[in-house]
Formats: sequence, structure tokens, C-alpha cells
Amino acid sequence: MRRALTAVFGNWSLAIRLARRELRGGLGGFGIFIGCLALGVAAIAAIGSFSRAVEEGLRADARTILGGDIELRLTHRAASDDQKDFLAGLGRLTEVLEMRTMARPAQRNGGAPALVQLKAVDDVYPLYGGLEFKPAMSTQDAFQERNGVFGVAVEELALRRLGVKLGDRVQVGDGVFQVRTVIAREPDRGFSVFAIGPRLMMSQEAMARTGLLQPGALLSYEYRLALQPGTNFRNTIATINRQFPSAGWRVRGLDEAGGGLRVWIDRLTLYLSLIGLAALLVGGVGIGNAVDSFLIGRRRTIASLKSQGAPAGLVWRLYMAQIAVLALLGVCIGLVFGIALPFVADALIGDRLPVNARVDLYVQPLAMAALFGMMVALLFALWPLARARAVPAATLMRGLSATDDISPRLRDLLAMAGVGFVLAAVVVLTAPQRNVAVWFIVGALGAFVAFPALARLAMALARRVKHPPHPTLRLALANLHRPGAATVTVMLSLGLGLTVLVATALIENNLQRQVQQRLPQDAPAFFFVDIQPDQVMAFDAAVREAGGYGLERTPSLRGRISRIDGVPVAQVEIAPDARWAVDSDRGLTYAPTPPDGTRLVAGQWWPSDYRGAPLVSFDAALARGFGVGIGDTITVNILGREIEARIANLRTIDWTTLNLNFTFVFAPGVLEAAPQTWIATVKARPEEEEKVYRAITDRFANVTVIRVKDALDTIAGLLGNVGLAARVVGAVSIATGLMVLAGAMAASQRRRVHDTVVMKVLGATRRRILEAFIYEFAALGLVTAIAAILIGSLAAWLVITEVMNLQWSFPFSVAVLTAFGAVTLTLALGLAGTLGALRQRPLSLLRNE
Amino acid sequence: MISLRDVRLQLASAAGPVNILRGISLDIGAGETAALVGPSGAGKSSLLMVIGGLERATKGEVAVAGTDLVRLDEDGLARFRRDNVGIVFQGFHLIPTMTALENVALSLEFADAERPFERAEEALRQVGLSHRIDHYPAQLSGGEQQRVAVARAFVGRPRLLLADEPTGNLDGGTGRAIMDLLFSLVAGTGATLLLVTHDEALARRCSRVIHIADGAIANDTAMAA
Repeated sequence: MRRALTAVFGNWSLAIRLARRELRGGLGGFGIFIGCLALGVAAIAAIGSFSRAVEEGLRADARTILGGDIELRLTHRAASDDQKDFLAGLGRLTEVLEMRTMARPAQRNGGAPALVQLKAVDDVYPLYGGLEFKPAMSTQDAFQERNGVFGVAVEELALRRLGVKLGDRVQVGDGVFQVRTVIAREPDRGFSVFAIGPRLMMSQEAMARTGLLQPGALLSYEYRLALQPGTNFRNTIATINRQFPSAGWRVRGLDEAGGGLRVWIDRLTLYLSLIGLAALLVGGVGIGNAVDSFLIGRRRTIASLKSQGAPAGLVWRLYMAQIAVLALLGVCIGLVFGIALPFVADALIGDRLPVNARVDLYVQPLAMAALFGMMVALLFALWPLARARAVPAATLMRGLSATDDISPRLRDLLAMAGVGFVLAAVVVLTAPQRNVAVWFIVGALGAFVAFPALARLAMALARRVKHPPHPTLRLALANLHRPGAATVTVMLSLGLGLTVLVATALIENNLQRQVQQRLPQDAPAFFFVDIQPDQVMAFDAAVREAGGYGLERTPSLRGRISRIDGVPVAQVEIAPDARWAVDSDRGLTYAPTPPDGTRLVAGQWWPSDYRGAPLVSFDAALARGFGVGIGDTITVNILGREIEARIANLRTIDWTTLNLNFTFVFAPGVLEAAPQTWIATVKARPEEEEKVYRAITDRFANVTVIRVKDALDTIAGLLGNVGLAARVVGAVSIATGLMVLAGAMAASQRRRVHDTVVMKVLGATRRRILEAFIYEFAALGLVTAIAAILIGSLAAWLVITEVMNLQWSFPFSVAVLTAFGAVTLTLALGLAGTLGALRQRPLSLLRNE
Repeated sequence: MISLRDVRLQLASAAGPVNILRGISLDIGAGETAALVGPSGAGKSSLLMVIGGLERATKGEVAVAGTDLVRLDEDGLARFRRDNVGIVFQGFHLIPTMTALENVALSLEFADAERPFERAEEALRQVGLSHRIDHYPAQLSGGEQQRVAVARAFVGRPRLLLADEPTGNLDGGTGRAIMDLLFSLVAGTGATLLLVTHDEALARRCSRVIHIADGAIANDTAMAA
């Protein structure tokens, strides 16, 4: 048995014994190796651990975040009494109403009207968690009617926006209320990416006074259930669905608490982890270099071992064992930081997160980081190890210089390919979005091919320059292409780091530009929601009078897709990028003629006097995701009524225009009689925006106004935060790249000292020598920056145009900043090492030779 | 050409300051050829470095080719070497990233001299390496590398040639060939030669043999022509 094991795995005990003897010499020269590995592992471990902490927080607080064990949500309408009775029989039931609306100070001398997220609750609310006020008071005290006026509680921000203080009165809809207290903690506030107004909370009795409970108003009714302990919420959901199969409500269980947030975290974690993995791969270059120079220094020892009868396999195992020990050390250091950093992050930004992150020691993300670390170390150590194994014993006699090439065998190449494949497979299989991970692998492979290729091209060009006009320039160029030059290493390591930074900066810049720069020129200034049909004429007149223009107005209803081509949604296989459309309500409208800017891609628009069976014009992208086409049917539940419509045509919708766009446009004759409101977009010159805002908010208490600028600011702020996170992780790859660069500089330091002294002997002044190094490092930095800009831009372009389907723009400043940064970094690091060479006294070097 | 008065050199070491040169006074005229001989560690190479402006004397007067080296700063010394001195080392000290031609042309380029590459090519032809001008040092044998170093030392027509055991790394035959070349070039240009060597026979080819022992001149002998 033992013999069989030895045949397969070789004699490791002897290798480990020999390795222990060699390691007695200490770990000198392995600082870069350990540093590169530790940094990459720390980044991945920290991102994974923190993400897990947030997920654990979500899980632990699921009941509180969801507001119950089960939540049922209806739009426009309340559940029927039958439904409420049935639900009440399943556990404790609470009903919560939510809508966006306007609040305004009741006194004329107060501040401006402001958009708020109105929430009306009953006596049972909240089922889980505590609603806390500042100053503290009971829910009853906060909301009850006193002297004919109900109380409301608001978020701090609402006080500022409305220009009111506690005790003041505010008007919501037709009702006037007293602001009694500030909401310090709302247990089920949840997380909404696009929450653009502060909370205003009142009782349901108070809500009745607002007059906002109009048919078709954009209201959501939420029913939360607290089940008896031990009751399985999934079974209860099944029971509810059996009882009311076509209720049209969206049912969520505990496993979907913080649903949107969870998707966000998953995606953000993936993106940040991939950037962290990129840092680890950059570090791999440093690991490979460190192992290579260590093993080149050991060639005499290897030859000596071989001359005494050590087989090549033993040599391989001997050094593999040492590298494994060092890699383990690097990984452990990385893990220590990976464990500690989430605690620091929680202390710094914990209170800005929508959930209480449960920061702890989680084994799974740490194990993944350790696995990635060990695999990257192995991947990059295999090549130098293979070269070491091939060192001939004859080296002892005839000598072998470091630059002599020893080519590894086919099986070594296959081993590297195998490890690379397994690493890629682990990355892809553990990613929540596999297509993104696959693109990352393709990109990383591309960069590992492209950078050395570009480096070799630069070296070939430098070689072709015959007798440059200046000796210092010649020295600089020669240093770029001479045998053993670090050009490839530096370009690959610093270049990869820069590429990550360029790509993330360009993507963020493009997204910000979409939001902040491109849109406002043709985007409306306001969205108006919940215009009642009888207000339409007066609304139009008020807008025109106040100087608003470009008014677009359309009827609006909301409905849930319940069946696709006759099959219930739950049973249809829907592409991931189209799932959003069935996860919540969709906006619907109807029109006799195609709305302006309609781009039909299939089918025909109906005649304007059409009065036949229900037809619908549908979003082409969603149709693709649903697997339906012209002639297929879509069933939509509108206010509890199921309407099956045949798809008459498909449209492409550019959501980024911020014009009124609807997934569904029905043919006339179906929806006219349904309760509905109108929505409108209005453009206004910046100086007239305030006038339009006041004109509408003063006259139409029920109409909700959303300033596009506010919404865009919210999105821009969010993008900024995501971008910051990406930049922080991207900086890790730059730091790793710099470590590799420092290692390469240190390796060439002896040569630089020699060249400096010889040039001094030949009469070169210090300025001249410094010039030579400046040229060399600047050229290296510039070529690296150009390559990084090219490759990073290509990656960003693919993400923006192909993945996100957005318009691409190339911000020149980002490129210039990158180039400047790269040149500065290489110059600073290079010159820091070279100044020592410049101070070297010639005597010591010239005499010691 | 060379005038030294009470030159002392003290260097720091881990064991404390070490006196390398202890009051050397020496005059060598233009066109003379002088050999510095003596046991290892006597201070021969250090004396050569002080004369070449590569090391600063701790004390004393150093005048070479009419220039007071004590007054010059580091860059001034570099310019002085560029214009007056050629040096050949035991370890060749070529720049590995440059071809033979580029190595030889380097000091001319530093001096902003005209036609540096043509003159470098001519110098390489003189040392018998016209077929190797585009080779890198690593592609040349030890003897060939030292010929490049000799060409580099002579290309600027220096008034003073310093050679620090130039044959120390070469086999006997190659070493002799290099020295023949060196002496013929010195004779041809009229340069002053100061040669550090352990080789008594080689020393006797010079017009003067100066024995250094323990940092001081022990003996200064004029050789019969």
C-alpha cells in the first residue's frame, strides 16, 4: 500500500525533511510573495465575510424586515373582507397602506411642499420589532386624534424639507395633521434603492381624512401575518394560494425578506470579489517572480542534490513543500486581515446600512478566500518549479547563468492548464451570476495574453531604435529590451492593476454620465402621479400657465402578469434579465395610436378605431425573456380581474429617456372603464421649475410630484457609493501591482548600481544618470498605462454597450489621469530605489570585483 | 601629470576607521609608464581610484593633468575623468545592456563629442574587434570584453590611462595580448600609464615600478629603458 502511494505521490517525507533543513535559512526574499498573497486573500476574505455578515443580518432580522412571517401586497385596492377574514384566521394580521404623496406645511409661512413616503398603520402594527420615536411616546400618543387633529410621525429629513418643527401642522391630501414626533427606528423600513422621500406615518383613521384613497391611486395595501410558533410559512403560503388562486397579490415569505437588498448584495459581492480576485491574480505575477528568482538562486544546490542521486521528482517536491508552507503563511496572514476588516467596516459604515450586519467569523467565505489563495500560488509557482526540476546536474561543472533558459515539459504545461481550469471552474460555479464570472475569466485570460504580447512589442520597438540621439535615452531603451529585463513583469503586474482601475472608473463614469449629464438635456423636469381623471383639464392649464412645456400625459393602471401564453407565471421558465417584470406590478396604459417615439420591431399597430378582442403591444426585450412572440397571449391581473390579451406587436423601449414608457400598451376597448389615474411628464426651464412645482402642489393636493433631479441625485449617490467600493478594492490590485513592481526593481537593483558606477567612471554627471533612469521608468509607466487604457477601455466598453446596453462615451480625463498616475508611480518607485544606486561609492564596487 | 602630496585615505569599516593610504607623495610625468605593485590590501587600487577621482583623499593634495581634484565636486570629477582619464578594470565593467560599439561610444557621448559612433568603431577596429561591434558583452569572451574596455578607455584620447590588474581575469596568452595592445596604444598616443599589477614581468615593461606596502610607498624604481 505504502509503495503504491509512494508511486503515485512520490516520497514526500524525505522532501519535507529536506525542506525543513532549507527553511532554516529563513524566509528572506519572500516578502513580496507573502505580501502579494496576503493582500489578495485579505480582500476576498473581507468582502466575502462582510457580505455574509449582511446576509446573516437579513436572515436574523427577516421577521422584522418583512414585518411578519408572510406579506401579501396588493396595488390600487384593498383585500376583500373574505380574504381578510381568511388571513386573520391564519395568525395575527396587520394591514399597512403605503403610497408616495406630497406633504406641505399647513401654515403659509412654512417651507415648501415635499414628496413623502406615506404609511398608514393599524393598532396591531408592528407585528415584530419595535417602532421607536424621538421624543419617545406610544404609538397611540403619536397618532391619536387630539382636538380634532390626528398626529403623524416623520423622519428627521421631512422636518427639514417641509420647514416644520414638532407640534407644527402639515397638510397631506385634504387632511391637516400635527407632527408629534420623529421616527427613530422603523423596523420594516426595508431597503429601497429608489426611495426618494422621507417617511411620514399615520393611523388608518387619519388616512381616511386625506382623501387620497381614490380609485386607481397608486396605493399599495400590505397584509402581514404573524404565524403561530412552529407553523411553516411555506405551507401557509400554499394554503393562501389554494384558497385565492387569482387574488393578484404578491406573496413573500421570510426567505424573501429584504429581497431587493439580497439581490443587490449578491451582485455587489460578486463584482467586488472579482475585483479582489483580479488583485490576487496580479499578485500571482509577483508570486511567480519570487519563486523563480528563489529557485534560480538554488540552482547550484539543485545540481548538487542531483549529482548525489536525487531524482528530479524529489527536487520538485522539496521546493513544492517549501512554497506550500510559505503560501500557507501568506494565506493565514491574509485571513487574519480578512477576519478583522469587516469589524472595522462595520464600525465605520455599519449605521448607514439598512440592516444590522452580524459581523462574525464565518468559515465559508474564509475557506473560499484560502482556496483561491492557495490555487493562485500553485498556478504561478508551477512554471518556476518545473524549471527547477529540469536543472541538470552538470550545472555544477559548467555553470549556468540565471538567464539560461530551461524549458519545462509538456506535462508541466498540462498541470498548469489543469490548475487554471479548476480555478476558473471554482470561480464560475460559486458565482451567483455565472455569465459575469465567465466574462471575468475570459477577460483575465485575455489580459494575461495581451499584456505580455504588448510588452514584447514594446521591447521589439525599443530594440529597433538604432543609436538614439542621447546616451541616457539609449540606456533607458536598452534597459527595456535587454535579456532578463523586467518589462514583461512590470507591464503585466502594474498593467493588470491599472486595467482593473481603468475599467471600474470608466464604467462608473459612464453610468454617472448617463444619470447626470446625458439625460437632463432632453429629460422632463417632473413626473406627476395620481392625477384624477376629473383634474386633467385643470392640470394641463396649470402647467401651461406656470411655464411648463412638453407635457405628456397618459392614463395609468397597474397590474401583475399572471400567465404567459396561458401558463401560470410560476411554471414558466423566464430568463434572469426578464424576471423583474413578473416580480412586481407593471405599469399599463392604452392608446389608439402608437405613442410618440414608438419603435415597432414586430407585428402591426391596431387601427385607431379598433374595438375587438383584447390586444396588447409588449416590450420586445421582455418578450424575448418570456419566450413569447406575436399571437401569443399575456394575462394580466388588474384590480383582481384577469385580462388575457393577444400580443399584436413588439416595441423596443429605451428606458433611459425617462419618457413615459409602459411595458404594456393595450388596444382601446379594454381598460377605459377600469378605475385609473393619469400620469404626466413636464419639462420646464430651470428658472421656472419652482413655479411649476408650486402651481401644481398648491392646487392639486392629491397629485404627487417627483422631481427628476432628486431621483437622479439619489441614483447618482448610490452609484457613487458602489463606485467607491469598487475603487477601494481596485486599489488593492494597484497595491499588489506596486509590490510586484517593487520586487522587480529590487531584483534589478544590483545591475543599476553597476551601470551607475560605470557611467560615473566614464564621466557621466549625476544628472545624466538620473535622466537615464527617468526615461526608463517613464517609458515603462507610459507604455503600461497605454496598454492598461486600451484593455481597460475595451472591458468597460463591453460592459456598458453589451451587458448594460447603454451609450458609450470615453472620458479622456480618466485616460490621462491613469497615464499620469502610472508614470508617477513607476517613476516614484523606480527612482526611490535608484537614488541609493546614485549615492553608491564607486570604490566598493570596482574593487570588490 | 600626477602630483600627490601627503595623500591620506581613511575609510570606515565595521571594525572602525581603517587607514588605507598613509601619506603618499608622488610625481609622475607626462608620457611616463608606471607600475604600482605590492601585496594584496597594500592600497594600490585605492591609490589608483584617488588619482582617477573615483575616491576622495581624506587629506593631502591631489593634482592630475593640472587639475586640483580636491576642489572638485562629484560632477566636476566626472567631467574631469571624461576629458582626461581612461580606466581599464580587472572585471571589464562594460554595461551589459549595450553593444560593444555603444559601450565604447558612451564617454564620447557624455562629452558631446562629434561623430561618437564613427570614432568608437575606429577604436574597436584598432583593438581588432571590428567584426564584433554589435555584440553584447555577454556574447563576447573575456579577452574580447577586455579589448572593448581598452577601446573604451582610449577612444577619448585621454592624457592618463589607469589600469587596475587588467589581465587578472584572463588566461596567460590572452592577458599578454591585451597588455601588448595596451602598451602599443599608450606608445601611439603618448598617454601616461599607471598600471596596478601583481605580475612582476608585466611591471618591468613600465618605465617605473612603485612598490606600495601598508598604504605607503616602500620603493620607487626607475627601470632601464
